[in-house]
Amino acid sequence: MLVAAAALVFALSQASAGRAQTLTGSVTSAEEGAMEGVLVSAQRTGSPITVTVVSDEHGRFRFPDGRLSAGHYALRIRAIGYELDGPQAVELGAAASDVALKLRKTADLAAQLTNSEWFMSMPGTPEEKRPLIECMSCHTFERIVRSTYDAEAFFPVLKRMAQYANNTTQARVQSRLAERDVHDDLVRKLAAYLATVNLSSGPAWPYELQTLPRPKGRATHVVITEYDLPRKTIAPHDVRTDAQGHVWYSNFVENFLGELDPKTGAHREYAIPVQKPRSPTGALDLEADGDGNLWLAMMFQTGLAKFDMATKTFHLFPVQAALDNDAAQQSMVMPRASSVDGKVWSNEVAKQSILRLDLKTGTYELIDPFKFLPKGRLHAPYGMAADRENNLYFMDFADENIGRVDAKTGVVTIYPTPTPKSRPRRTMLDDQGRLWFTEFAANKLGLFDTKTESFKEWDVPTPHTYPYDVFMDKNGELWSGGMASDRVLRFDPQSGQSIEYLLPRSTNIRRVFVDNSTHPETFWAGNNHGAEILRVEPLD
Amino acid sequence: MMFDRGWLRVAVVAACIGIVPTLSRAGGVGFGEDDANSGDDGPSYFGFVREVDGPGVADAKVTAALKDRGALVTRTDIMGVYKIPGFGKDINPDDVAITCAKDGYVQANVQRRPHDAGDTKDPVEVECYLKPK
Repeated sequence: MLVAAAALVFALSQASAGRAQTLTGSVTSAEEGAMEGVLVSAQRTGSPITVTVVSDEHGRFRFPDGRLSAGHYALRIRAIGYELDGPQAVELGAAASDVALKLRKTADLAAQLTNSEWFMSMPGTPEEKRPLIECMSCHTFERIVRSTYDAEAFFPVLKRMAQYANNTTQARVQSRLAERDVHDDLVRKLAAYLATVNLSSGPAWPYELQTLPRPKGRATHVVITEYDLPRKTIAPHDVRTDAQGHVWYSNFVENFLGELDPKTGAHREYAIPVQKPRSPTGALDLEADGDGNLWLAMMFQTGLAKFDMATKTFHLFPVQAALDNDAAQQSMVMPRASSVDGKVWSNEVAKQSILRLDLKTGTYELIDPFKFLPKGRLHAPYGMAADRENNLYFMDFADENIGRVDAKTGVVTIYPTPTPKSRPRRTMLDDQGRLWFTEFAANKLGLFDTKTESFKEWDVPTPHTYPYDVFMDKNGELWSGGMASDRVLRFDPQSGQSIEYLLPRSTNIRRVFVDNSTHPETFWAGNNHGAEILRVEPLD
Repeated sequence: MMFDRGWLRVAVVAACIGIVPTLSRAGGVGFGEDDANSGDDGPSYFGFVREVDGPGVADAKVTAALKDRGALVTRTDIMGVYKIPGFGKDINPDDVAITCAKDGYVQANVQRRPHDAGDTKDPVEVECYLKPK
């Protein structure tokens, strides 16, 4: 099906703005003198591109040659507890510029805290805090802790929020058509807890605010580039690059597939036909098939969409009427090995089941992988990977299992993770048959070796990171990110060494991707709540 | 670091029994429902994997299989102990086959302790023996 591209191209040619310039400088404060680990960001007037570097142990920073062109640049910093006193801008001309940035203590530390830091700060048991990891899907904790609701006032707020679609952001709130049944006693329990950590009892929080340390050492050896997208409502969820280095992303709340050329900054959108006008719009999983064509899981619009990279057109595969209803939701798609048997894997969230699309007939087969397990326990087939025979591996995001569905026999094997209640989320299968995955609720990265059928797990270094996704690069290092810490984790599973790159602003990361064609490799992700594409380039 | 799977699921989460909201995941509101337990659990399976006339075998794969339908797979801890959460209570424990495997070994035999098929609370004890190849 041919769909006209809803093109929106904003010209960003860095080169056209003038010759490449060099910007260096220093960062100091009255309290610390020279400061290491301060993120310094520069954005040229009118440009949607922001480049960020980090000060070294001497408080010095340097933007790499060729990254900035002549022009007027707004400057900003990120250093927990501080704000930029000045200068707030710099004019880059023909000569190299060196600026001395002065920081002052902030009067509003709470405004700078990440979700992880709120988790660290808030009193309460792990059981009391655990439900909050769902809140991050739509907003930060600041919205909660600055509220003045008591438990009674929180109750209807929470009941109302439960009826919003999971593909909701603050910029685009979407309601579900099918009402969800949320038990009042659970809501009251959560409401009572939230009323103990917000401002319902007074003008200040009844606990000390805890912060994470600034980056140091190798964590400062990085260049971060943010590409602002043209509408605040764009919610990039899954991000990946193609062979030409273009970035493609799914929009979680609008029916568009996005394309960004990071060299020129040109941005384009391809409209996906709306199949169910009353239902929430947007797509989640974005995967490539063996031919390099892109597939999208259409969430509440239901079904799958294939995007032909040659013709730039969509072919839709709607779910047949017998499987469709107002609650139906496809969040995942796995077309990687569809050429083997003509089948594409997906999921039916509302039925806690797996779907398998037959490309010849266009019909879906419903597979309940948990039919022999105790009824009533919540399950959720989520992150998916397929091996060369198109056998499916899936994450049981609501529970603690990895599952395998044999493509030929349909036999299901369930592997409980070593850590209970781990809630495995997204995954990737490497060419050695190793399944790398995140344990969202357990704060761990995991490995499931499909050959030996054995697990390994590693704690994520920062508490309350709640990793969403993980990607193994060509060097055998893992890259991960999530919705809580505003940090990108680079982890060597051989040595156990890790680096965490702090990001320039509040960043809600979902799917992560590493482009192995660059040297060093390049990390890509979307800021789901911030309408931006994010590139992280390690310098070592 | 390798972790061995211990007790896979605590059977009693008394505070939350019977609380099963029908929520849709893809990242959504949970409100702590993952403590839910339906009371539909069949008996669990546990025991040792041992060498014949020898010690327990660590990190052995243990499979609880329903013929042509599916399986639950776990591994033994450092003592050679395994525990597998139950299937649904509609599954007859006699239809569940326990097998064990590890590189360098072949399965010798499996010994199942007597068990009341109608008792869904009482775990099923099955010893699995390996012998070196």
